[in-house]
Amino acid sequence: MIMIFIFISYYTNFLISLFASSLHRRRRQRKGERSQIGDTMTVAAGVGYVLIALGPALSLFASVIAKKPFLILTLLSSTLFWLISLIILAGAWRAFLPVKSTELWSYSLLILTSVGFQEGIRIGFWRLFKKMEDMLNAFADRVSKPRLFLTDKMLLALAGGLGHGLAHAVFFCLSLLTPAFGPATFYVDKCSNIPFFLISAIIALGFVIIHTFSMVIAFNGYIEGKRKDQIFVPFAHLIAALITLINLVPGGCNIGLPLLCIMAGTTLYYSWQLVWRRLTEHQTTRSSD
Amino acid sequence: MDDRSTDSDPVTAGESSILDTLGEDVIRIVSPVSLCMLLVVLLVSSLSSTNDLSSSISSLFLSSTTPTSFSSLNLLLLGSDSTWEEIKSALITALSFVVVVTLLTFLLVLLFYFRCTSFLRIYMGISSLFVLSFLGGFISLLLISHFKIPIDPLTFAILLFNLSVVGVFAVFMSKFPISMNQGYLVAIGVLTAYWFTMLPEWTTWALLIAMSLYDLAAVLLPVGPLRLLVELAMSRNEEIPALVYEARPVDPQLGDRVRVWRETTDVSIEATENSTNSANVQTVQETRLAVSEEITAPLIEAFPQTGDRHLGTEEEEDGIGLGSSGAIKLGLGDFIFYSVLVGRAAMYDYMTVYACYLAIMAGLGVTLLLLAVYRKALPALPVSIMLGVVFYLLTRVLLEVFVVQCSSNLLMF
Repeated sequence: MIMIFIFISYYTNFLISLFASSLHRRRRQRKGERSQIGDTMTVAAGVGYVLIALGPALSLFASVIAKKPFLILTLLSSTLFWLISLIILAGAWRAFLPVKSTELWSYSLLILTSVGFQEGIRIGFWRLFKKMEDMLNAFADRVSKPRLFLTDKMLLALAGGLGHGLAHAVFFCLSLLTPAFGPATFYVDKCSNIPFFLISAIIALGFVIIHTFSMVIAFNGYIEGKRKDQIFVPFAHLIAALITLINLVPGGCNIGLPLLCIMAGTTLYYSWQLVWRRLTEHQTTRSSD
Repeated sequence: MDDRSTDSDPVTAGESSILDTLGEDVIRIVSPVSLCMLLVVLLVSSLSSTNDLSSSISSLFLSSTTPTSFSSLNLLLLGSDSTWEEIKSALITALSFVVVVTLLTFLLVLLFYFRCTSFLRIYMGISSLFVLSFLGGFISLLLISHFKIPIDPLTFAILLFNLSVVGVFAVFMSKFPISMNQGYLVAIGVLTAYWFTMLPEWTTWALLIAMSLYDLAAVLLPVGPLRLLVELAMSRNEEIPALVYEARPVDPQLGDRVRVWRETTDVSIEATENSTNSANVQTVQETRLAVSEEITAPLIEAFPQTGDRHLGTEEEEDGIGLGSSGAIKLGLGDFIFYSVLVGRAAMYDYMTVYACYLAIMAGLGVTLLLLAVYRKALPALPVSIMLGVVFYLLTRVLLEVFVVQCSSNLLMF
C-alpha cells in the first residue's frame, strides 16, 4: 500500500515536473518579468527529476529496507563500496581524460574497462557478503536464534544492489542536478529535444533497476552455483552500458533511452522469475519436511 | 516486489530472524547525525547565493564575528592574499584554536576536580542559551531575509525567546521527553556547525584536521585532559555535566515518556548482547545507585563515560562511550564537526557532499566497531574526519572530472 502511494505521488510529480518545464519554456518567451511562481516551479522541476531517478529506490527503501536496521547499514556500506570502485576507475582513467568527442573507440574502451572492473569487484563483494553471512550465523547461534533464512539472504542482496543503484544514481545524476533547481534548463547538442536532466534521470532510473536486481540475480547464482544466472548479470550490465554509447550519435538518445528501459525491464522480469521459482521451491521443501 | 515481502511472512511466521533487530542501536546514532548533516547542507545551499542582499548583510555581520576576524587579522598582519599566506594564516588560526580548547578543557578538569559541578551546569546552560538565541536568531534572520518570510519583530522575538528557553530546559532537565532533548541537541549542533562553515575555506580544513588530532591526543594519551576527566568521573561514579547526545529509545513501557532513573538500589541486571561487525557489544552488569538531591546516572561497571571538550564558548562532550543503559552516547562536538565537514563540502559541489557523507558514516561505523572491541571511551572525530577529508580530495580531484565527462556525453555504466 505504501508502495502504491509512493508510486502514485512519484508519477504525479513526474507529470508536474514535465508540465513545469514546458510551462517555464513558454513563460521565458514572454516579456521578461521574474515571478516568484517561476522560482517555485523550478524547484518542483528539480524535485521531479530527483523523484524520476530515485522513485522506485525510495519506495523500495521505505517498504522493505527501512523496516530492518541491518539492511540500512548494508545499504550504506554497499554504496560506499561502489563509490570506492568508481573512485578507483576515475583514478585509473584520470590521465586519459578529457577524451575528445570524435573518438568513439576510446569511449567504448572506457565503458568496457569500467563494466569489466565493476563486475570483477562484484565477486569481491560476494566474498565480503559470505564472510558477513558467516559472522551473522555465528552470532545467531550464540544468541540461539534461527540462522539466516533464504528471504533474509535475498533481502541482503536487495539492499546491496540498491546500494549499487543508489551510488550510480547519486553520482551520475543527482550531483549534476543542482542547476535544475534554478530558473533554467539545459540541453545537450546530441539530444536537443529532451532536457539533459530528464535524460540523465531516466538513464539513472534504468540503471537503478538494473543494478538492484542484478545483485539479487548474481547472489542467487553464486549461492546455487548456476552458470546461467552468473553469466546473465555481467552480460546485462555490459549491454546496458553499450546502449548508452548510442547516445553519442546525434539523435541517438531517442533510441537509446527506450532500449535502456527495455533492458531494465528484462532484468526485472528475470529477477522476478528467479525469485518466484526459488521461493516456491523453498516453500515446497519446507512444507514437505 | 510485493512478492518478496508477502512471501517472507509464511516462511518466517512465528520465528523472528536476527535481521529484524540487529543494528538498531547503530541506526539510532546514524539517524540524528544524518539529520544534522542534512539540515546543515540545506542551510548552506539555500543561504549561499552570492547575489542576494542577505548574503551581503551576512558578510557585513561576519566581519565582526570572532573566527573570521581572527583570521582576517592574520591576513592583515601578513599583508597579502596569496594561497600560501592563506594556508599560513589558516594553520595559525587552527593552532591557536586548539591551544584555547586545550586550556579550557584543562580548566574544566580542574573545576570538576574541585567539585564545582553546579557552576559547570550553569555555565553550560548559559552557553546553550547563547547558541540557541543569538546564533539561532542570526540564522533565522538570514533565512527570513532570503526567503522573504513575512514576520514582524515582536512575534519573532517572542518565538525566539520561547524556543531558546524551552531548549535550555530540554537539554538540561531530566524530566523532559527525550525526543525533545534529542531534537534540541540536534538543533544546537546544526546552528553551531552552520556558524563554523562561515569560516574561510583553508581555515575550516585546518581546523578540522587540528581538532581531530587534538581529539586523538586528548582521549588516548595518559596526560590528555579528556582522559583525566573520564577517569575522575569514573572514580567518583558521577556523570560529567556536558552536552551529549544519548541514543536511548523512548521506552513505551514506562508510562510517561520521561527519562527515568530507576532509584532502587542493588538491582543488578544482566544484559547480554553479542557482537557482530557493526553492533555495539557489551556484557553488562548494571548496579544502580540513588542519591538524595540529584538523580545520578547509573554507570556501567568498568565502562567509563565519555570525554569532555570545550568548544569556544560552550562545553560539549566529545568521543563515544557507552551510556548507562547500554545506549551509545555521542558528544555534540562530533555532530558539529561532521556537519562542518559536510557543509564545507556542500559549498563546493553536491558530489563531494555525498562522498563525504558516506566516508563519515564509514568512519562512525569503524569507531563503533572499535568501541565494541576496546570498550572504553574513544575519540569519535579522527577516523571520520580523516576519511572525510581523504574522500573529499579524491572526489574533487579524480571522480568529478570522470563523472562529468561521462554524463555530459550521456554515457553511463
